[in-house]
Amino acid sequence: MADTLVRKSSSSPSLLFRYGPEITGLASLVVAALLFELLVRVGVINRYVIPPPSDVILAFERVVTEEDILGRSGATAFEMIVAAVAAVLVGVPVGALLHRSPLWRRAMEDWVGALAAAPIVLAFPLFLVLFGRSPKTIIVMAFFHGLAPIILKTIEGLSGTRKVLINVGRSLNMTSSQMFWKILFPSALPVIFTGIRLSWTFVLITVVGVEYLINLGGLGQLINELAERYDLPGTYAAIFFVILVSVFFFILLERVELWLRPAR
Amino acid sequence: MAATGEMKAPARRAVAPAVSTAPVTARRVLLVRVIVALAVLAVWEGLSRSGLFYGEVIPSLTRIAASLGKLLVDPVFYKNLQVTALETFASLSIGAALGIVTGIVLGANRFLMRAFEPYVYYLSPTPRIILFPVMIMWFGVGPASKVALGALSAYFAVALSTAAGMRQIDAILIRVGRSFRATTWQMATKIYLPAMRVPILNGIRLGMGTAIITVLLAETKLSNQGLGYMIMQVYTRFDMPGLYALLIVVFAIAGACNALIGKLAREQV
Amino acid sequence: MEDIRLQPAMVVDDVVKRFGRGDEIVTAVDHVSFNVAQGEFVSVIGPSGCGKSTLFNIIGGLLGDYEGSVMIGDERISAPHPAVGMVFQEESTFPWRNVIDNVAFPLELQGVAKSERMDRAHHFIDMVGLASFEKNFPSQLSGGMRQRVSIARTLVSQPKILLMDEPFAALDEQTRLLLGDKITQIQQELNQTTLLITHNLTEAVQLSDRIVVMTYRPGKVKRIVDINLKRPRTSDVVGSDAFGHYVAEIWNDLREEASRGMADSESAASRRGAHG
Repeated sequence: MADTLVRKSSSSPSLLFRYGPEITGLASLVVAALLFELLVRVGVINRYVIPPPSDVILAFERVVTEEDILGRSGATAFEMIVAAVAAVLVGVPVGALLHRSPLWRRAMEDWVGALAAAPIVLAFPLFLVLFGRSPKTIIVMAFFHGLAPIILKTIEGLSGTRKVLINVGRSLNMTSSQMFWKILFPSALPVIFTGIRLSWTFVLITVVGVEYLINLGGLGQLINELAERYDLPGTYAAIFFVILVSVFFFILLERVELWLRPAR
Repeated sequence: MAATGEMKAPARRAVAPAVSTAPVTARRVLLVRVIVALAVLAVWEGLSRSGLFYGEVIPSLTRIAASLGKLLVDPVFYKNLQVTALETFASLSIGAALGIVTGIVLGANRFLMRAFEPYVYYLSPTPRIILFPVMIMWFGVGPASKVALGALSAYFAVALSTAAGMRQIDAILIRVGRSFRATTWQMATKIYLPAMRVPILNGIRLGMGTAIITVLLAETKLSNQGLGYMIMQVYTRFDMPGLYALLIVVFAIAGACNALIGKLAREQV
Repeated sequence: MEDIRLQPAMVVDDVVKRFGRGDEIVTAVDHVSFNVAQGEFVSVIGPSGCGKSTLFNIIGGLLGDYEGSVMIGDERISAPHPAVGMVFQEESTFPWRNVIDNVAFPLELQGVAKSERMDRAHHFIDMVGLASFEKNFPSQLSGGMRQRVSIARTLVSQPKILLMDEPFAALDEQTRLLLGDKITQIQQELNQTTLLITHNLTEAVQLSDRIVVMTYRPGKVKRIVDINLKRPRTSDVVGSDAFGHYVAEIWNDLREEASRGMADSESAASRRGAHG
């Protein structure tokens, strides 16, 4: 056995070889950036359409010091957190209630599905009228956008509980609340978190998107302002910043989801 | 026998069922839906008459219906609908074509998949509309920038779905093709393509959903034609019944397109 | 009769297949030789891990890189050969084609005209007893019916040798026996040369003229047993004394191999347990 272990470690290829594809991917990005730099500097690409990547990198500093991108991130984060927490606090109980009543579930599940697919963001002028030009509008819209996936996945998770586990509960004469908290809910948790991940992704998209559209709040507004000032490197830098933050946010959610999934 | 049977029945009823056990019939489902719909409408009408909201924020149902009727016979609406439809169609065509090619490349080659799929995957749920200023710089303020942004949105969904579809093809079907000595072209047209039809159509359905929203949002931001532009006009005029009517129509169109492609994907043959 | 029997339809000669590199070589198939006569039904039986599937892939031409030779006439198999028709263990019908289009698939590849390919497909669908299901899709059929579709699809290309890899593995015992009847009937009707790969002993004895018994890793031929049960044969034969005798005899050989396989997988499991 020690023999096989030794063999494995000695035959393991070098890091460069093992992560060849990933390194190639990263290298392609770097090469693309250098290519753009070159094309802009040579004048093939107009620098008022695509700023040289080096300018964009330099603009990061300015965006942090002058435009207070971190403070704006805070504003965006606040709106997101309120909407995200509200979506969970409403969505999970609604899903659990719909799961308890097959009649209501059959009557409402399709409607919730339609809500999930509906282009709610488009209704922003309506929400502007209803809630005024304030973070309230953004939060309410993000909440609605994030609600449906949690309801749907809560129903799915609860009804996906294996029959045999429910029979275990019955054989132990569990009450309905014991049944819910000790069997149904823990078994549904991984699926519910999938719903939460989807929901919070929608929340992020909605918050930043609406901020940009109505020119109010945090990061979305910053991009809008920089673009209107025609500050190209700044605009690009802010966009990259938002994309980077979103990607980290998704990766984080995915990690939590993976961690919640039962080991198999 | 009879006694034990009777003993058992109540004992079973005493423990908690996982879900309510009342029978669910189609009629009762319909009844609940009708009641819920009526209740929503009644609350709406009540709020509209209560005067709790100022002016036109919650207009009465009759006025929304009247606006809806007026909208549906308004030639301006159809002109704008045509603009948005064309922009969406163009963006979906471009985005889907690029997405399918990307998906096939990523699905067929493990090296390229590991090198580039993470970027496609993690960029796909990022907020798209914030790229609109960049699209304006690249493609101008006209329809081209909306098409480009829409294409970009559709691209990710189609690419990811195609790549996953290609990897999920049942390996046995490929072995069957090889065992009958199918040529490369026959493998592509008779095995890979039909096996990937559903995931590709699903990707197109998702892509179309985001393309519609993105095009419309871009139109609301900066445009002088299209349904998104019309929404902003109605909003600026503070014509609330008109705004509701327009949103109802847009939601209905988006839902119908979604259902249509969904049906296409579910159909066999 | 004797003359035909003397010309083998296929000769498997000293086939060896190793997997892996360097110190981690596993020999899956170890110097295996046997032949299959025209019109003969031969089964290869052995416990899991005896290299049956590897042998199937080699004979089917899906695994071209091996030592020794599998000959059909004077051609050595290294790619799928038109004379060999394969039926796979896994469910392998095309979900997007209905029964008749599934069965007509090989003819479509050969460019046979539509009316002719429908006629020929119809003939074989009838033979496997699915005539009233031609327009159904696989999702509307049971597992046994789908496997019959696969068999008809392979037969329609009229292979000289029908090569089957545990085609009934996913079916229940009753369906398996009845489908066995169907196979026997078709094989006798077409005088179809058939090679069946299986781990099911009753199935092998029920269907075969000869059985090749393989050893557990590395897969060698342990013994070749002639099955002298009357033909035409039906599943009734399962109840006969002679049948029981053959089963007992082959099980004697197989038990030893199967228990070696079991011991191996148990020690592998405990190793995994110790690591995890």
